[in-house]
Amino acid sequence: MTTKNNVLNLLSTMLAMDAPATRDVTDENNGLDRAPVAREENNKPVLGLPSFSDTEMIPVRQEDGRLTNYPPPDKWDDWVEYDGKAWPKKVARRYTLVPTVCFNCESACGLLAYVDKETYEVKKFEGNPAHPGSRGRNCAKGPATHNQTYDPERILYPLKRVGKRGDGRWKRITWHQALDEIAQKMRHSRKQRRDGIMYHVGRPGEDGYTNRCITAWGVDGHNSHTNICSAGARAGYSFWGGFDRPSPDHTNARVIMLISSHLETGHYFNPHAQRIIEGKMKGAKIITFDPRLSNTASMSDVWLPCWPGSESTILLAIANYLIQNDHYDKEFVRRWVNWQDTLQAVRQGKLTVDDPDLQAALEGSSALKFEHFEQLLKVLYAEFTFERAADEAQVPVERIRETAEYVAHCDGKLATHTWRSASIGNLGGWQVARCLFFLNILTGSVGTPGGTSANSWNKFVPKPFKTPPPGETWNELNLPHEWPLAHYEMSFLLPHFLEEGRGEIDVYFSRVYNPMWINPDGFVWLKALLDEEKIKTHVALTPTWNESAWFADYILPMGHAGERHDLMSQETHAGQWIAFRQPVRRVALERAGKQVRFSHEANPGEVWEENEFWIQLSAHMDPDGSLGIRQWFESPYRPGEIITIDEYYQWIFENSVPGLPEKAAAEKLTPLAYMRKYGAFEVTRDNYVPYEKPVAGIVEEEAKKLESFTFQLAEVARGIAREVLEIEPKGLAIDSSNRILKAGQPIGVMIDGEPLVGVNTPSRKFEFFSQTLYEWGWPEKEHTVPWPLKSHVHPDHIDRGKGEMLLLPNFRLPTLIHTRSANAKWLYEISHKNPVWMHPSDATRLNVGTGDLIKVETEIGYFVDKVWVTEGIKPGVIAMSHHLGRWRLQENTGVNPGMSNLAQLELDEQGNYKLNIIHGASAWDSFDPDTSRIWWKDVGVHQNLTHAVHPDPVSGAHCWLQKAVNVTKAGPEDKHGDVQVDINRSMAVYQEWVDLTRSAMDTSPDGNRRPLWMKRPLKPVVEAYKLPEQPFGR
Amino acid sequence: MNYGFVIDNRKCIGCHACSTACKSENEVPLGVYRTWVKYVETGAYPDARRHFQVTRCNHCANPPCARICPVTAMYQREDGIVDFDPSICIGCKACMQACPYDAIYIDPETDTAAKCHYCAHRTEIGLEPACAVVCPEHAIIAGDMDDPTTEIAHLLAVQDVTVRKPEQGTSPKVFYIDGNDVSLHPTAVERTPDTFLWADVIPLHDGNSPTPSNGHPTSAEAQGTKQSKSGATLRPTQPQGNAWAGPIQFGSTVAEHMVQVSYNAQHKIPWHWPVPSYLVTKGIGSGIFMLLSLGLGLEWFAFDSLTVTLAGFISLLFIGMTTALLVLDLEKPERFFSILIRPQWRSWLARGAFILVGFTIVAGLWWLVEAGAYFDILAADAAANLRPIALWLGLPLAIGVAVYTAYLFAQAEGRDLWQSPLLPIHLVIQAVMAGSGVLLIMDTFLPDAPDELATVAWTAFVVALLLDLFVLLIGEFSIPHASEVAAKAAHEISHGHYKNHFWWGSIGLGHLVPLLLAIVSALVFSEPFIGAIAGLCAVIGLYLYEYAFVMAPQEIPNS
Repeated sequence: MTTKNNVLNLLSTMLAMDAPATRDVTDENNGLDRAPVAREENNKPVLGLPSFSDTEMIPVRQEDGRLTNYPPPDKWDDWVEYDGKAWPKKVARRYTLVPTVCFNCESACGLLAYVDKETYEVKKFEGNPAHPGSRGRNCAKGPATHNQTYDPERILYPLKRVGKRGDGRWKRITWHQALDEIAQKMRHSRKQRRDGIMYHVGRPGEDGYTNRCITAWGVDGHNSHTNICSAGARAGYSFWGGFDRPSPDHTNARVIMLISSHLETGHYFNPHAQRIIEGKMKGAKIITFDPRLSNTASMSDVWLPCWPGSESTILLAIANYLIQNDHYDKEFVRRWVNWQDTLQAVRQGKLTVDDPDLQAALEGSSALKFEHFEQLLKVLYAEFTFERAADEAQVPVERIRETAEYVAHCDGKLATHTWRSASIGNLGGWQVARCLFFLNILTGSVGTPGGTSANSWNKFVPKPFKTPPPGETWNELNLPHEWPLAHYEMSFLLPHFLEEGRGEIDVYFSRVYNPMWINPDGFVWLKALLDEEKIKTHVALTPTWNESAWFADYILPMGHAGERHDLMSQETHAGQWIAFRQPVRRVALERAGKQVRFSHEANPGEVWEENEFWIQLSAHMDPDGSLGIRQWFESPYRPGEIITIDEYYQWIFENSVPGLPEKAAAEKLTPLAYMRKYGAFEVTRDNYVPYEKPVAGIVEEEAKKLESFTFQLAEVARGIAREVLEIEPKGLAIDSSNRILKAGQPIGVMIDGEPLVGVNTPSRKFEFFSQTLYEWGWPEKEHTVPWPLKSHVHPDHIDRGKGEMLLLPNFRLPTLIHTRSANAKWLYEISHKNPVWMHPSDATRLNVGTGDLIKVETEIGYFVDKVWVTEGIKPGVIAMSHHLGRWRLQENTGVNPGMSNLAQLELDEQGNYKLNIIHGASAWDSFDPDTSRIWWKDVGVHQNLTHAVHPDPVSGAHCWLQKAVNVTKAGPEDKHGDVQVDINRSMAVYQEWVDLTRSAMDTSPDGNRRPLWMKRPLKPVVEAYKLPEQPFGR
Repeated sequence: MNYGFVIDNRKCIGCHACSTACKSENEVPLGVYRTWVKYVETGAYPDARRHFQVTRCNHCANPPCARICPVTAMYQREDGIVDFDPSICIGCKACMQACPYDAIYIDPETDTAAKCHYCAHRTEIGLEPACAVVCPEHAIIAGDMDDPTTEIAHLLAVQDVTVRKPEQGTSPKVFYIDGNDVSLHPTAVERTPDTFLWADVIPLHDGNSPTPSNGHPTSAEAQGTKQSKSGATLRPTQPQGNAWAGPIQFGSTVAEHMVQVSYNAQHKIPWHWPVPSYLVTKGIGSGIFMLLSLGLGLEWFAFDSLTVTLAGFISLLFIGMTTALLVLDLEKPERFFSILIRPQWRSWLARGAFILVGFTIVAGLWWLVEAGAYFDILAADAAANLRPIALWLGLPLAIGVAVYTAYLFAQAEGRDLWQSPLLPIHLVIQAVMAGSGVLLIMDTFLPDAPDELATVAWTAFVVALLLDLFVLLIGEFSIPHASEVAAKAAHEISHGHYKNHFWWGSIGLGHLVPLLLAIVSALVFSEPFIGAIAGLCAVIGLYLYEYAFVMAPQEIPNS
């Protein structure tokens, strides 16, 4: 095809509202057995080179002659660059540069799309220098966004299933049809009940937009991936401070302590990696806990290859070192830790201490003294010696001592982070985060320069124009009574709940989510997805094919990073910013004066974006407004009319982002135009110790009154809990715990006579002793205070003598993210397989070498993979990256042939489920000549299918670490990639873990399902918290 | 102006962002790499480390690729960037042999050489290379090293830096802060493992393990068993340049101390069978001419029109095949004439082409006259008058044809084994050996050929065989090689993957059998077909030798 035709074809598709009905439509009446070929000429990058005969280049060399990194923003509208491929022939190409936000992980780094002004081809994605988080730099996945955009395997049109679910037959439908049919089902469900619609999100990639829609629908329908990702850490942080993620200030740290591999995969990879290395170059020491030699461990000053589950013990040994040597920030602890409550707990016998002197002192004296707390800490943690930690962790004791020395001298500049890794690996992993943050507390490195802040202090989520009221329902499929403290929904157990008969779903949206592949126990997911009684309609919103979408009823293609609107912010450092994701071709077309109504007109094929889709879907769901839904989707500028996407963001940028209107005005731009131009805005910088801020709105006089009250209170015995003393006037109050209440809600705390805002816990202080855990069924010391919990993979549970090993299945590579990066050829070329890491001593024992096949048996089945022998893994532990092992069931459709195995499934009635690989990656022909150059074969093994579910009874997190009950050299009948699972065993192991829970039915102190103060996505009204009479299983 | 890179390994986290940014900026196809991050794992648990090394074209101050390029497709710009022009490149792959750093590849889309070009299209307008812009850690520092105000100049002034293979004399301009010796040194590991950490390894040879062991005992096998008088256990001494693995092992063995490459870009061998074939055909063509020239000129044998015309024809035929093989091996054969139209005179590929053309013209004209005389088209006198001039004029050209490849191979600075001072004389000997061998074959079919021809051929043949054996065994393979890489390649030939080619093929079939046949012919019975068999064996043996000689050095990793 000629270049000219390409261009015309491209433009015609871009500008057509409805797709031409000619191509690749699988007619309803014939050709049903043919899968639609979603490989379209119009998604080809234009190969021909336009030339500009008299192009004037814009030199951007700095005045002193040095090179610069980016064209200056004032040239972004019209930028000329030489084509790198044509060089040294000087072929100039004219671009308009449109900023957007990467969608390949959660970091929300900036990208800058180079959109060719003649062909509207997106030539490349570079970084966005105006983005305060990523600062113009990216990881490997940023540039690879181009691969995803021009992936020959893309789904370009809405598809509807033909035949039975999972048959793999599809027909193309219009967006109108998709909207009509799905909205009808939702309307029907919503009229029947408030828990029939479920939106299950893998990667949100935005802040609050979709949640607002779900709330507007009036259903309790949010489900997430949090419990296979971060729930463990979140719970630990939450019990300390009411926030649920850390935000370390790596740049200014003296000691950076990482549990997990933050330099290759962290949360947030590129922004944090930049700042960790900045800190290192300024002299910070890096300490990494990981049984595997990650790239991060390799860059560290101290690598602690501890046995998984021993992290808390090491952390407490360090804490104990600080405590016993009085080498901690007592002033900070005295001011900001709930030591009075803790001592009160000791006094009341809620926390037992083996120290008669202290007991006597507490009983004898009416005033609680901080010295008692110092003594308490000394007694509590005395048992945590370096030797004990070294023994339990199986690491050299010198390394723990060295670490403790570094921490002791961090000078309030200890940046810590745990994400996934130990906190999501182990039973009780939430205590790892708690013990880690304990070191921040002890060193006073909380919110300080070089310390660790709360995510909520550094993340900025602006409010939209109108917020629907909270819902009135509680969906038992998301947060059942067994896990009252779960962070958050028990997402990965959804199919188990369905299997048990806890409910069914009318409309299930999976969105940038591949639940069968990414969750443990995928075959149970497969069973649920196949069951049209349990999941009545499955709508997969996805940019690419995935294993789960294969079992959907509708596949709705959604855009990649440069094809959609989203607003995002992340706590990447001590500052706040927002970043604006944009459909870059749409913006480029609009800059050229062309009208675009919906993003799918400008995107490849008919790829749309969720933002506009949700608006239209909601409007279709309630066309006459009778359900009360439509009102939330009406324009704030044009009453009664459905809002446009421009209006939605225009309102936010004009009204909800402090400083943005002024900044925009200074450049003679509207706030929306400013964001379209720069793609990011810095809201605040150098955010430190926000909990020390005075409570807003308290004038000096009232502060004095509060002070006198505090003084009086200190004189009074504090036996009465929650006693509230009113002070005049203004409805301000102070209770016996020194909390400042306004209209009954705590808004601050008195610290040394000052009314300060504090943190979002019930006590407004950092909670060492957790009253919440005590009250909600976990009264033992190992739960109420930072303490190690015995992991399910504790050495006591792994009999290495019997051939048992520990499988570490959940580490990330720097080049891939879950299943979203599969269609990026440059990333797959670097990393396409996940061999099992094994220490030479174990390899010798099993008589295998690098490249040999082994069979790994888990609690529920087995898989077969190759071995990678390395000294970079702890003996007794095997490890496997979780990204790889993608598969498809049809040769030509499904996941990209270069990135997936062709597989076959075999399911029998007895519950034996098998996945066998027919062949690995293969070269194939498409418009992209690179697909014929695929040179690799091994695309990994899908191990997650063989993982039993391990829901932590407190945090609800799936504890990823697996016990490999047997690891052997593969037999002659074993083939690479074989997977087999007995789903009866799956359900049995599930039940074993359910038995560990302590149901709210038995423990709730107030008849609620969950503590009101704890976070929950989309908190419903208080009434919805009431426990039901007869929940499932009762 | 003098552009270079500093790679700051204190900062590099091995994220591969530079790799994909480069692919994006320059639309680099799958399977080839302008820049990549080599991973090497060292140590023993729990003291292990993974080292990252951004690896790419060094933009050498003295670039051997530019020197060997026959058409100035690879060239050094005034600002120090080593750039290339795909519209000129003929795809001879000589630059790939000249580069000691594995930086050059053949682009599968254009079939021309390509590599990192410092994003010259960006620096032209003042922008940094794409890899430097994307790097999250600012671990790639690009800039003008001559300008003291630049960051790169500052770093070079105050930091300890190192480069890859400084001994090659190329003056590399990619400087590593905290460069790791094991990563920098491609042969620090005995061989590539069967798989990488998260990528497949492509076997160098189909059906074999990726890179076969080159015949070294591993350290376990090398444990000494001898004892000195004092009772110390002794290790046997090792061949020069071929250290036993010692403490350096790869992961699949019981490693007390591990050194293994866990990621690297994969390179294909540039030159295959056409190159050894070309060496053989060139030897035959030039060798026959040399023998004709000397034999007739010094009157070792009488002139016979048919014999001489036929021999001349065979010589020209093989020279023609030589040229054909040369062209065939080009990725862009249609651009062959570029060598003649726009030669880069420092390149021995260009010089060689002119020698070949010169020889073909002189020998061709002579042969036309000779053949004309034989077919009675031209007067025999004319041929007789022309003959001495043409043969004496052609002799140095024929020697040049035989010898120039030695200079070309010497320009291939990435293959140290080829840079042998013995190679020019060796090539002449091989030419005489092959030429006389083919004359012996020809003699079988020419019962009327002058008797002395067979004697001369046999004599030359035997002398050449003996000399060749001498040069091979006493020279090339027993004298230690100056560089480790050359020693490894030689060891690969004599003890490794090519030992059968070498011992059974070259030494046995190519030398001992013909010598035995010579003895049989001289002492037992003298039949022309014995000479033919001997000649054939020598030619086959020569091919097997050349094959090993061309392939083995290409298998030694340069990155």
